[in-house]
Amino acid sequence: MSSEATTSGAVAASGKKNWPFLCGVGGLVFLAIAIFGAISGAMDHNARPAYGLLVMFTFYLSIGLGMLLLNLIHHVFGAGWSTVPRRQVEHATSIFPVLAGVFAVFLIITYFIDNGLIWKWIDFEKVKDDVLYTKKSWYLNNTRFLIGVVVCFAGWIFLSHKMRSYSAAQDKDGDVKWTNKLVWWSAVGVIFTALTLSMAAIDWIKSIEFHWFSTMFGVWFFAASMRAALAITALVCLYQVYKNGPLTGLFKRGHLYDLGCLMLAFTVFWAYISFSQYFLIYNANIPEETFWYNMREQGAWWWVSMGLIFGHFLFTFIYLLFYRNKVKASRMIFISVWILCFHMLDLYFNILPSKRENYEMFVSYPFYISLWDIAAFLGIGGLCAWSFMRSWAKTQVIPVKDPRISESLHHHGR
Amino acid sequence: MSDNTTYGLAADFENPLALMKAAEKCRDEGFKSWDCITPFPVHGLDDAMGLKRSKVPFFTFIGGSIGFCTGTFIAWYMNAFDYPLIVGGKPFFSPVFPFPVMYELTILLAALSTIAGMFILNGLPRHYHPVMKAKNFAGTTDDILRITIEASDPLYDSDKTKAFLHEIGGTNIQELED
Repeated sequence: MSSEATTSGAVAASGKKNWPFLCGVGGLVFLAIAIFGAISGAMDHNARPAYGLLVMFTFYLSIGLGMLLLNLIHHVFGAGWSTVPRRQVEHATSIFPVLAGVFAVFLIITYFIDNGLIWKWIDFEKVKDDVLYTKKSWYLNNTRFLIGVVVCFAGWIFLSHKMRSYSAAQDKDGDVKWTNKLVWWSAVGVIFTALTLSMAAIDWIKSIEFHWFSTMFGVWFFAASMRAALAITALVCLYQVYKNGPLTGLFKRGHLYDLGCLMLAFTVFWAYISFSQYFLIYNANIPEETFWYNMREQGAWWWVSMGLIFGHFLFTFIYLLFYRNKVKASRMIFISVWILCFHMLDLYFNILPSKRENYEMFVSYPFYISLWDIAAFLGIGGLCAWSFMRSWAKTQVIPVKDPRISESLHHHGR
Repeated sequence: MSDNTTYGLAADFENPLALMKAAEKCRDEGFKSWDCITPFPVHGLDDAMGLKRSKVPFFTFIGGSIGFCTGTFIAWYMNAFDYPLIVGGKPFFSPVFPFPVMYELTILLAALSTIAGMFILNGLPRHYHPVMKAKNFAGTTDDILRITIEASDPLYDSDKTKAFLHEIGGTNIQELED
């Protein structure tokens, strides 16, 4: 292991700059700025910087969870073709400790500075006469919320660590028992992750608007996460093929094509879920639900909604229907970046208007991207990149002794 | 046997790798009217044969588009034009409520036209093909991998092609009647 690890580690270090270090330090600096903004904003009862941090946290959380699910699904189905890109997916699941650290900021703001700033219902004095809150208080209460936070992060960190360490252990001895263990943990983990992902989406995003009802929200977050994770997988793999990188000759047209097919499938799935949510609320037409969409038709949010329909779904769908767009590296890079941009917009759309500028009049926060948001994006992103590269340098670039690696190396996509 | 009653030549190969190598040589030789018959799908054979991508997706797209337009049209025609009816306080026509109709018809016609496109491009249904007259035809559904080169190919020459098939490793070379 040690000699092999040094070889792949040497590739990372052979560049002129120490990228993991630069990303880590840069990430810390920007994250410090974003946290300063969020906390000083919270002290003035201005929630906007904290919401910027929440949107960016959710962005990276969705990538991490999507990657974890991709990895689990790979093992549950005994997939062969995805063995080559799988190692990159595993590295990306190393970001959960970073995310847990960022989430602590929201807990500090909520419990030490302003109870109702992010999640209004945590300010129990203000909502104790609210019948929609009291009926939901068996679920929306401090104990359950905090247990949820601990279970989610502990579970994700434990599961991703197990998956990564078993996979790395197989690189050494090639024993098939590691594959069997991975399959066992994946079968358990896929149920756990599906449930905790839904809980996280409901607790941390949906409960901002605790008056609202939707049964599709957890599934929406799953669909969105998978799209983001697939886009990042394609980008990370293509980057390592670029200029004779370490995946040259290993990551081939077939893998890219199949990633593109999955991106197309999840584009349709995302649209199906998002539309279903809208469709049910539109048809039922009861004010307890419709206000959520009415608030998203105000001002610039209308154009954001249209952007999601035509940019996040229609354009991406038609673009990915074409074979050539799924096998040419430059075209896949374009659509991956496109999907990530619109995924970000989708998260803004789901999170930000729920915080109301005027609570009684249902006036939502206007749509704009503040400098705090950009600092949070760079900060969490830098730390996630550091975590990824640190994990990357420790292992082989592909699972060299996986029983299915030969199948994946000879994968023909058509 | 004169050429107009000959369909072509067939040769058998040991294993998928040998077949793949032979297919690449046939492709490089410039044959156009030829085919591989295998009892199971061989991955990568499309590239080895130099086949272009199938035209079936074109049929799927056309079918899907027709389905989408049909769904939109019937929702508009029935509910907003022929017999305007207020249902649940909704507008006579809107892209939202009939959307399930629109996409179900998209999927239905896309699927049907995919099958239709496959039948048209393959020339199906067809009950007879000259390769069925070959010796050991039943073996091609079991363990025989076969290449057939048709007499209609411009490069076809009974003796030369026979020699060529022998040279690329074919065994049991036989002439097929039309």
